[in-house]
Amino acid sequence: MPTADLEPSGPLRVSILTQGGYLVASVHTALDDGQLLRFRRDLLDQIGSRRSRGVVIDVGALDVIDSFACHTLRTIAEVARLRGAETVVVGIRPDVALAMVELGASLGPVTTALDLEEAFEVLADRAAVPPAGPLR
Amino acid sequence: MSAAHPDPPHEGPILDLVPIVRRVVGARIADAATREDIVQETLARVVASRSRIENDSLVPYAVTIARNLIASLVQREQRDRRSAHLLADTDDTEPRPDEELLRQEEASTVATAIARLPEEERAILLAHEVDGTDTATLAADRGSTPGAIAAQLSRTRSRLRVEYLVTQSGSEPPTDRCLPVLVAVSSGDRRRRRELDADGHLLSCDFCSRLAPGLVPPRARRPATDDTRVPVREDADVVLVRQKGREVAAAAGFSGTDLTVIATAISEIARNIVKFAVRGEFVFSVLEEEEAGGRTGVRVVARDSGPGIRDVAQALEDGYSTYRGLGLGLPGARRLMDEFEVVSEVGRGTTVTMTKWRR
Repeated sequence: MPTADLEPSGPLRVSILTQGGYLVASVHTALDDGQLLRFRRDLLDQIGSRRSRGVVIDVGALDVIDSFACHTLRTIAEVARLRGAETVVVGIRPDVALAMVELGASLGPVTTALDLEEAFEVLADRAAVPPAGPLR
Repeated sequence: MSAAHPDPPHEGPILDLVPIVRRVVGARIADAATREDIVQETLARVVASRSRIENDSLVPYAVTIARNLIASLVQREQRDRRSAHLLADTDDTEPRPDEELLRQEEASTVATAIARLPEEERAILLAHEVDGTDTATLAADRGSTPGAIAAQLSRTRSRLRVEYLVTQSGSEPPTDRCLPVLVAVSSGDRRRRRELDADGHLLSCDFCSRLAPGLVPPRARRPATDDTRVPVREDADVVLVRQKGREVAAAAGFSGTDLTVIATAISEIARNIVKFAVRGEFVFSVLEEEEAGGRTGVRVVARDSGPGIRDVAQALEDGYSTYRGLGLGLPGARRLMDEFEVVSEVGRGTTVTMTKWRR
């Protein structure tokens, strides 16, 4: 993967913004494997440096979510959970969702929501009712 | 005039001039033929001017004429010598040695290529091209039809192009498949190319991939409308090839969901090529109704020259993965498409052919 550790040239492909205690990562164009891995690294770094409680990943611009993209999203969610942040994936297009089902690819335990608003509701619920004891 | 100066009395003096002129010219000109030319020319001029010249002036007149002729001859020779370099190449019809060598090599290459043709094909080709025998006569001689002879001739020409390039390359085709594949390429026969998996062979055989570009017949050189080729080598190509596949499918009339399904299948297969093979390519073709029984479809052929798959059946099982993916590559793509076939040869490469039909 020659592009994995290089600065991608051209337009910004993923922007990572903050919203309250949450991170919102928006994918702007189709990503190849190297770019996906770079996105994963950047996002996990940001979770640590911003002490995020939750991450929303908007994949509305992904034309295809194949096995590798699924694998990467699952990895992100799992690593984020280990670092104390919940992950919600939003914006999967209907045709992409159908192709994922036919492919047999699954996001597994990763929570998905229809749009940003729902994603924040999900995150708020999780924060309000933490699975193991009070948060602070 | 002829009454005042009748010719007969003057004949004698002119004949008497001949030895004198010969001596004068002979003293200056070595070449016998040139000498005689000048003597005759001198006498002719003396005869022409005879009426204007007194008898006793005849000898000095003739000698002067002869000297003048010799002088102008020498001048002309000198001028020719001086300007010789200006004319150096104009009447030089001999080819230069290097051109001659190239011409000979070309001729011997063609001769060798013709000699390599099968005997019957060679006979028909030579009869048609060299003797000018028409196809009808050839057909009658061989109990065939003119059309069949014409088709045979066309195949022979394709074959000759191949033999010519092979001869020129100075080496023999490394495998048994090379020659048939090259002939199929040369004749532009798409069906034959498919049957032989010519494109797969071209990816793996350096010899053929070097020769093939020179063989594509002129009429097939513009890209065929129903075949789109996309090379795949690195990560970025995976995105590119699935977008290209989506475009081809959209042009064939596929709708939104199917487009994404096809693109997803392409993505899975393209990733395998990037991960495991050195180089590969995708060929998209639109299957039109007449050749597919009333249906329209998109055929995706993905070839690579990679290490091949040792156990295709195992690779088609869910969850089998040689790297840390989900193990969905081949089986996932198979579920997405309507038809799916994997042909793999260890050490040679893999060809995945998959088709989606329009609903």
